[in-house]
Amino acid sequence: MGKKIWKFLSSMQFAVALLVILAAACSLSSFITQGQTYEWYAAQYSERTAALILALHLDDAYHSWWFAAISAFLCLNLLLCNVIRAPQILRRMREEKDPASALRIPETAMAEGVRDPEALFRKLHMPSPAESTDENGHRVLYSVKNSIGLWGAWVCHLGILLLIAGFALGQITLENYVVYGVPGQSRKVGDTGYVVTIDDFRIGLREDDTVEQYTADITVRDVSLNGNGDAASASISVNNPAKLFGMTYYQNSTGWAAKIHVDENGEALQDEVICAGEYLAVADKPDLVIYFNAFYPDYMMVPGQGPATLSGQLNNPAYLYSVYYRGEIIGMNILMPDEELTIDEYTVTFSEPQNYTLIQVKRDRFTPLALLGGLVTMLGLFLAFYIRPSRVYAVEGENGWTVKGYCRKGGVIFREEFNAAAKACGKEEE
Amino acid sequence: MGMLKVENTLFTIVMLLYFASMILYFVFVAVRNDKAAKIAVYLQAAGLVLHTVALICRGIGAGRLPLTNQYEFATSFAWGMCLVSLIFVLRYKFPVLGAFSAPVTFLIIGYAAMQSKEVHELMPALRSSWLGFHVSTAIIAYGAFGVSFVLSVIFLLRDRMRAHGFLDEHIPDKEKLDMISYRSVSLGLLFLTFTIVTGAIWAERAWGSYWSWDPKETWSLVTWIVYVVYLHLRIRRGWNGRAAAIFAVAGFICVIFTYIGVNTFLPGIHSYA
Repeated sequence: MGKKIWKFLSSMQFAVALLVILAAACSLSSFITQGQTYEWYAAQYSERTAALILALHLDDAYHSWWFAAISAFLCLNLLLCNVIRAPQILRRMREEKDPASALRIPETAMAEGVRDPEALFRKLHMPSPAESTDENGHRVLYSVKNSIGLWGAWVCHLGILLLIAGFALGQITLENYVVYGVPGQSRKVGDTGYVVTIDDFRIGLREDDTVEQYTADITVRDVSLNGNGDAASASISVNNPAKLFGMTYYQNSTGWAAKIHVDENGEALQDEVICAGEYLAVADKPDLVIYFNAFYPDYMMVPGQGPATLSGQLNNPAYLYSVYYRGEIIGMNILMPDEELTIDEYTVTFSEPQNYTLIQVKRDRFTPLALLGGLVTMLGLFLAFYIRPSRVYAVEGENGWTVKGYCRKGGVIFREEFNAAAKACGKEEE
Repeated sequence: MGMLKVENTLFTIVMLLYFASMILYFVFVAVRNDKAAKIAVYLQAAGLVLHTVALICRGIGAGRLPLTNQYEFATSFAWGMCLVSLIFVLRYKFPVLGAFSAPVTFLIIGYAAMQSKEVHELMPALRSSWLGFHVSTAIIAYGAFGVSFVLSVIFLLRDRMRAHGFLDEHIPDKEKLDMISYRSVSLGLLFLTFTIVTGAIWAERAWGSYWSWDPKETWSLVTWIVYVVYLHLRIRRGWNGRAAAIFAVAGFICVIFTYIGVNTFLPGIHSYA
């Protein structure tokens, strides 16, 4: 029973079934927006469908238990397949090197009465043949090439195994953080013990106002308890991340920030730079919170749609804010730079709009393993498709030479080439 | 701008050449005129050369590789399809393949003609040397899958054809058709793997993640799996023939969905592609 199970787990049928299920699961999941709530799915489809999506974990399909199970079974199948096949391939390679064994392997092409077998070997681009004798004492010329191609599928399987292992281990051990801010600000990178200071942030614009590049100059300091305060600086831009203290820093995105100034009865109380999407709790009245919803550099009001921006230029800046008191929204409006927002004894103004940078900080120790897997897979496919193991042997008889050949994955095309070469080398009849 | 005008003119000439080549291939099959096939091959080759020049002009005019929007990818896809089909026509002395692949090439270049030819500056994420590797390998992969699709259609039609001297002479037997189709799929799968791996390396640098389950990535994987299943079933169980041909057709439907369907129905971080 156990043997049967192992045989099934290592079988090609099981592999094909897993691949079909995987393809079906991936394609189905691609139509379902991932990572949404029950309410969102219910609004998009129906409550019943939403419940089904959540029950089947289709809301986060690629991280679900069943997706992991399919991947694990696929890995097991590939591993078992490779373990079983490795000795078989080695044996096959040994057989192909030995003419006596090779003569027993079925051929796919044959020609009789060939007068010049050496020329046929050359025409088929085979290496110079070795000479031997068969069991009847006849002369045998034998040549083999591309035996390494036998390893193609095996290497490809190994590559996929490395790829899946690298991806899975990377997901499990991934350290991923996002920090954002304007030049001059410093941010902690999660609980890593590193602090990023944004020294500068530039948006390179072309003449037509399109963005050419986002570049941030950063300094990272090790402020952990065991650290010695070392610092390292780098310039990062899209497509040009930097690796500092073992973590990779990516220029990910940008947005708008502004300075919020709060007065209390005419006295300055608070001055802070916050990014759109952030909250500011009033210093001596934390129940009162100002939320910076959005910024419009070239503001206009579109009837029926709401606020919008005409361009990315600071032609007519406007700030969309909300005011919360004890968690309840008490106001929401647009504020122009010369306007003040008054709430009881507090006066709030927005000023100095500027771009902030959003930096992704990541440490995935297994990315090189996944990359290696990809490269090994490519190598395996190349070996499997283009390094076709071939062998040709010629046995001398009374009516000339009988030549036989085999080319793995050569099929009818190899047979045609073989026959044409045999004909050109003095074959009398097929 | 001069180069872009040249490219525009060449593009029109290329369309005409592909069209003329397609008509002559049809004449070859309908009237059984071997000379028509020869001229069709020459016109296809001439179209391919001018198409190459047009793409170079586009690249010079735009100041970058012409592989970044729907028009550029569609015209490059047609170029890849034409290149691979011409190689197979000549390699296997199989002009009937041209009669079936020319309409597909013409449809793809027709799709390109309907897209905006405007040259836009590249967004920062696309400004990478990986762009060339990633997209050019995709073009060859798609071209090879296109040819395998055409070969499979011929295979399926051959089943229904009555014995006929002309067709028997010009269409390989089913065993050989199956083998040529397999070689085309092999080429496509190898290059699709290159596409996925180079795309992953690029995504790691640009987006900070080499695999994000973006719809384009996911459907590339689905396409890859479909062709891997085709190869396994075909090689391991002698599943060649009609069933394999149907599977190759299904694979190409996945290719087209990955190319056009995903952009239309499933926008993601690849939306510019």
